[in-house]
Amino acid sequence: MINLVYNEMLKIVRKKRLFIIAAIVAVLVSLFTYAQFKQVETIRERIGTTDWRTQLQQQIIDTQNRLNSTGISEEWKKFLKIRLQQQQYYLDNDINPMAPGAPTFMRMFIENSIELFLPLLVMVIAADLVSSEASGGTIKLLLTRPVKRWKILMSKYIAMILSTSFIVFSVAVLSYAISGIVFGYGGWNLPLLTGFSIQGEELNTTGVHLIPQWKYLLIEFGLAFFVSLVVGTLTFMLSVLLRSTAAVMGIMLAALISGAILSSMVSSWESAKYLFMVNLRLTSYVSGMAPPIDGMTLSFSMTVLAIWALVALIISFYVFTKRDVY
Amino acid sequence: MPKRIISIVVAICVATTMLWIFGLIVTIQDQFFYEASSSTKQIEATNSNSKQKDALSIVALGDSLTRGTGDETGKGYVGHVMDELKKRTDKQIQFTNLAIKGQRSAQLIEQLKQKEVQRQIIEADIILMTIGGNDLFRGGEALRDLSTTQIEKEKKKFIEQLNTIFLLIREMNEDAPVFYIALYNPFNDLDNGKETSAIVRNWNYAASEVAAQYKSIICVPTYDLFELQVNDYLYTDKFHPNKEGYKRMGERVAALITLTEGEK
Repeated sequence: MINLVYNEMLKIVRKKRLFIIAAIVAVLVSLFTYAQFKQVETIRERIGTTDWRTQLQQQIIDTQNRLNSTGISEEWKKFLKIRLQQQQYYLDNDINPMAPGAPTFMRMFIENSIELFLPLLVMVIAADLVSSEASGGTIKLLLTRPVKRWKILMSKYIAMILSTSFIVFSVAVLSYAISGIVFGYGGWNLPLLTGFSIQGEELNTTGVHLIPQWKYLLIEFGLAFFVSLVVGTLTFMLSVLLRSTAAVMGIMLAALISGAILSSMVSSWESAKYLFMVNLRLTSYVSGMAPPIDGMTLSFSMTVLAIWALVALIISFYVFTKRDVY
Repeated sequence: MPKRIISIVVAICVATTMLWIFGLIVTIQDQFFYEASSSTKQIEATNSNSKQKDALSIVALGDSLTRGTGDETGKGYVGHVMDELKKRTDKQIQFTNLAIKGQRSAQLIEQLKQKEVQRQIIEADIILMTIGGNDLFRGGEALRDLSTTQIEKEKKKFIEQLNTIFLLIREMNEDAPVFYIALYNPFNDLDNGKETSAIVRNWNYAASEVAAQYKSIICVPTYDLFELQVNDYLYTDKFHPNKEGYKRMGERVAALITLTEGEK
């Protein structure tokens, strides 16, 4: 089994996909670092101070003003209200949620990439694991070996898990290393608040507690890994079902992008919360953002995602072991 | 590709998989089984005095006028004051705009009770404020009903609250000059312009009486700025000033600021 997995990893590494993905991440991180740097500069120019309390207070007031203007949608209003209460809570407890530093940048980057960017990268690896063997005809060579079919598929699945964690790892390392050049490498022990729960338009702060940033990051990257794994498993299933890698990518792309769009407009369609793509933003629960649909919680989203992945896994194994290959 | 590279990649993959699984365990333990006992009270207050030395700190309070509603350039009168001050002084200017659109005097009192707002005011060198427009006009609807008893009642309430506001500010900051920008009458070219103008003048007079009881709280009139050709200086909503209107207000306030600074 170990040899089979090693064999699969060999194929993935030979294709150089992992390095291309790392290069993509490096370019994007550099871009965002520059954008963030510019933003910090503009704010400093506008308010004339680097004091975070003044900046946060100004943000709160700006949000209050936006809430007062007419013509903003109810969902957006609710989102703003919850963020407002959270910012006020940070301010009242004298904690700076945005202290500059590479770890803060990492946090921001993973929170923004968990929904679309990271799944896309995972998809690139997982999409052709099986389908490329089918379209290239090499599947026959593989299946003529005296190894059980489920073992072959299992080795491919484990290889997918390993490369997924490699991708998450490269996001972590690159975002730390590159942004640190500009923002400095410190800030691992910065205290952050978590445990907010949202009830309607109110922010419940009874479960709020303080954790150091390194733990916060560990949690967020753990969740990012979980999300990547689920998306990877779904892609894996499609890769088993379809012969064409392009079709697999097309379907996954459509699903992921529709998720990003749906999240912003499904609040009135309640049963949409059982779709996997609106549940991908797991980090929002940790930081205390309003979920796209009322009643969604971290445990709910994780359960939904786990069920989707499990069903996908069962289907892939069933189909792969029963299918005629000719 | 040499075997070593592949072995290294596989080793990294295995190690990081362990790490992320550990992360997930931490997540479950922290997010689902958190005991509410060890609270946030351990936070050490880093209440260092953050104000940069010899920076000029300006805080703006109030309603949509201080926000700059109606000015398409987004500056408002405070923007013009800032521009003017930047020309006159080499000091760095630290500016915080705490104004909220539609705010009334009662809400401003609530705002003044917030810890961070108080810190801003304590550190302020100059305070700019507008308040009362929403108390009187209620978004422009109230003056249809010109019954004097109703307006007298509103005025009395407003004056009391204005007094509280000044009192709170002076408790926090004894010295910083406060520029209270008084009301103008956006309706003075309407049919009942005479009546509404009388009400606004009356209201302003009462406010200036309150201001006069405090040290260096200056009531800045704007009524005269909008007396002639009021529509040239109003935004399309016929209530907020436009770019020109704000420029005039800004110039007036800026002129007063240098005077009081010169005295120091």
